[in-house]
Amino acid sequence: MEKTKLITRPINWNKIEDAVDLDVWNRLTQNFWLPEKVPLSNDVQSWGTLRPHEQKLTMHVFTGLTMLDTIQGTVGAMSLMPDARTQHEEAVITNIAFMESVHAKSYSSVFSTLCSTNEIDEAFRWSEDNPYLQKKAEIILSYYNGDDPLKRKVASTLLESFLFYSGFYLPMYWSSRAKLTNTADLIRLIIRDEAIHGYYIGYKFQLGYNEASTERKADLKGYTYDLLLELYENEVKYTADLYDEIGLTHDVKQFLHYNGNKALMNLGFDPLFPKDDCDVSPAILSALSPSSDENHDFFSGSGSSYVIGKHESTKDEDWDF
Amino acid sequence: MANSVVELTDDKGNLIGARGMESAMSYQDLNAMINLWGNDQKLQLEKDKLAVRKYFLDHVNQNTVFFHSLQERLDYLVENEYYEKEILDQYSFEFITKLNDLAYSKKFRFEAFMGAYKFYTGYALKTFDGARYLERFEDRVVMVALTLAEGHEDRAIHLVEEIISGRFQPATPTFLNCGKKQRGEFVSCFLLRIEDNMESIARGINSALQLSKRGGGVALSLTNIREYGAPIKKIEGQSSGIIPVMKLLEDSFSYANQLGARQGAGAVYLNAHHPDIMRFLDTKRENADEKIRIKTLSIGVVVPDITMHLAKDNEDMYLFSPYDVERVYGIPFSDISVTEKYHEMVDDPRIRKSKIKARELFEKIAELQFESGYPYVMYEDTVNRENPIQGRINMSNLCSEILQVNTPTTYNADLSYNHIGKDISCNLGSLNIAATMDGPDFGMTIETSIRALTAVSDQSDIESVRSISDGNHKSHAIGLGQMNLHGYLAREKIHYGSEEGLDFTNIYFYTVNYHAIAASNKIAIERKSTFDNFENSKYASGEYFDKYVNQTWVPATPKVKELFDKSGIHIPTQEDWKRLKESVMKHGIYNQNLQAVPPTGSISYINNSTSSIHPIASRIEVRKEGKLGRVYYPAPFLNEETWEYYEDAYEVGPEKIIDTYAVATQHVDQGLSLTLFFKDTATTRDVNRSQIYAWRKGIKTIYYIRIRQAALEGTEVENCVSCML
Repeated sequence: MEKTKLITRPINWNKIEDAVDLDVWNRLTQNFWLPEKVPLSNDVQSWGTLRPHEQKLTMHVFTGLTMLDTIQGTVGAMSLMPDARTQHEEAVITNIAFMESVHAKSYSSVFSTLCSTNEIDEAFRWSEDNPYLQKKAEIILSYYNGDDPLKRKVASTLLESFLFYSGFYLPMYWSSRAKLTNTADLIRLIIRDEAIHGYYIGYKFQLGYNEASTERKADLKGYTYDLLLELYENEVKYTADLYDEIGLTHDVKQFLHYNGNKALMNLGFDPLFPKDDCDVSPAILSALSPSSDENHDFFSGSGSSYVIGKHESTKDEDWDF
Repeated sequence: MANSVVELTDDKGNLIGARGMESAMSYQDLNAMINLWGNDQKLQLEKDKLAVRKYFLDHVNQNTVFFHSLQERLDYLVENEYYEKEILDQYSFEFITKLNDLAYSKKFRFEAFMGAYKFYTGYALKTFDGARYLERFEDRVVMVALTLAEGHEDRAIHLVEEIISGRFQPATPTFLNCGKKQRGEFVSCFLLRIEDNMESIARGINSALQLSKRGGGVALSLTNIREYGAPIKKIEGQSSGIIPVMKLLEDSFSYANQLGARQGAGAVYLNAHHPDIMRFLDTKRENADEKIRIKTLSIGVVVPDITMHLAKDNEDMYLFSPYDVERVYGIPFSDISVTEKYHEMVDDPRIRKSKIKARELFEKIAELQFESGYPYVMYEDTVNRENPIQGRINMSNLCSEILQVNTPTTYNADLSYNHIGKDISCNLGSLNIAATMDGPDFGMTIETSIRALTAVSDQSDIESVRSISDGNHKSHAIGLGQMNLHGYLAREKIHYGSEEGLDFTNIYFYTVNYHAIAASNKIAIERKSTFDNFENSKYASGEYFDKYVNQTWVPATPKVKELFDKSGIHIPTQEDWKRLKESVMKHGIYNQNLQAVPPTGSISYINNSTSSIHPIASRIEVRKEGKLGRVYYPAPFLNEETWEYYEDAYEVGPEKIIDTYAVATQHVDQGLSLTLFFKDTATTRDVNRSQIYAWRKGIKTIYYIRIRQAALEGTEVENCVSCML
């Protein structure tokens, strides 16, 4: 452990040790949102046009995502806290943890808007019984409970940048087919957050990694690829289990490869999957773009574009007329 | 699914790509590819053309009902109650055949996938089960022309020419509904007053339901409703103010939609000096309580000049109880000029008041605009100064371009009408600036458009809301709009908001205004009829024409002069205006209002235009709509040469947008939807400064505020065109 803080210091935001902390803090707070912002009820009609097995798939996917966000909000982000390099990092992590809980709650908003209690209960039962989902949770939790801070960051980055995406695929797919577009907006807000979380935790990992000895570096690198492969193996089964019925498994797998590479990139490592295996459907890829350049009209949803503004009072010279 | 290699070919059969996976690339994928850089790091615009082709091959052609002849088609559609027989009966079959041949001879093709997709999902007539198409684009155009020409063959021919060439494009409700047996109204836009009594509030909600059922956007003014805590029957502290009314309206709009075609949409306007103004704004807060939070209802603030002056002096601004104001002055709050009566009302002890800091109001408005894009802003005194019609304008509409006078309605105890006032409806249609500049006869394009819009007004009768139908019968108000300004400028290699850009905009709108008034004058002469109360307008007094007869308007730059010369368009002279003024003063004009520039969403895609007179939001626009999902739309005429002239709205910045709108505004009798675009580095102060600048430049209304947030470095999608800043 590199840190020996025995005296308690008040956090001083006027003295920034790592500019990235402030950048990310600003970005995260600017991006703050709550599920109530999105008019999910506009999707009720669209939900009705999904076939029963498509509805069920959607619910299972969202329950799976809820599970991951639950882990990340209550265990994952918090487990990074003791290893924070700066006090500002601690502050950022509290924000990450809180937003993960917002995400977990968002799925419940989707459920309560679109489905009946029976259906919801069934989906949650499914999440407890699904071996691959449980395995996924088990793997991640075991690493969070481990005692190597950098390895915890690897696990966390893989969760944020890789594991979520087998689930994110489906709402993006629906929205490219003009289904559940408001739900997709909500998911896009989540993706916008997760993209930053993955980037930030990966960045903090790289700081530690670059200070490490050659042997430790080799160890960490080997560990990262091993863990990714372990998760990938399970993820492929999970994906097949979910998506075989509607024939999208192949596409989702391409998407997993794409995001696996992205996770490695966040950690500063070379991609694992060859480019040809990352042939994500352009409709999905374009739908992912986290920047807020989307245009929509007042007949549609609220979009995923607005941000909390920075307040600055006008001065006398502004009113010079 | 078989694992086969799929070859993609272009129109001429050349192989342009191949892909080996389970299925061929869908049109959605092809369309999405224009948002990704190709392997050679170039734009893949040709993929969009392939998407159009694929869409027709895979989807449209396979789902279109085939008829052997026009006769068979029309008979079938009339017998099965798809088409309205009365429309077709106005013409001989020979003529309809001729018109049909004319339309098909133009070889219309959709330029962008977005246009084709939008047309077939949103406009084309479908079988009642929604499964198959009964119309192509040409068929729709013919039906629209037959409907709006009202039996005049020459007008029908003109209309087909104008619409199929893309010069004139009727607004969605008109283009969508004309000629259909099962249809909504042709009119898109309604504005209703609400007075300070339960009868009027309930009538407002009822009307909102009726009008959105018919496909309109409805705006309501809440300015007259007494504030939170105001007395009811002299008992203090009883009224719950405007928020519960907003809630009721919001629910009404989500309940009523046009045969499921699109959601009802509504807006409410409130004067800045209404005591509930801060509560009104807080309904749009991100963290507002569910009980008061307003999600889908749009809001707008009516800002008088006095508010600007109080903010300038950093003073308190007083808010006045509408209940008391109405008792003191005997007329509703919204019919009073707050600027004029401000100090009088401040000094009047009978009017209860509260105060806030004027600058805080503006800061709050800006904060909310960041969070939600709302509120719209209407500069009340600017609007009324520029209004040629007798009466007062106290609100705008859902897109903030309609600005017309209204009068209150009163009710009897049994809820029947005591006096029917005048509420507002407006039917719209837009010219494609590039196509109009290329057209053979500028004046004719405008005359045909004005006649078509007038026909819509004449054919509209909203019986369920009497104040609307009465208002329409009296005013024959229409709104001719414009789109594709940025497209035209880019094609002619002019930067948006540059000296030449402003010069063109000024002269173009100037020329349009001349022809619009001339056309309306011509109709008045033919029909020997004007709009109601023409005699008390600034048209009748001639005052309206002062700025045109006392001043010459000519292009200031050689480039713009050359553009008009090249197009063979005569720019009206002072002499022309003098003659027009005389004729108008003598014969009147038929339409109370003539121009309004709407934001043009859907119709600009079908028309392959840039929206309204805005700069583009992005070279490749990412568009989300309830019915479409995500679709990508390249700016028209986009290529390597025009690329640099397509600076997007965020790069162009608010000032140049305001300048462009300001030169157009002086030639438009109603308003223009003006959206301001900011980068996320902007603060509330920047937004406020733009609002002040807009007000100083004589802008009438501000529509949305849009903020673009750049993706944090390292989180963007690889190769994404729209991510590039």
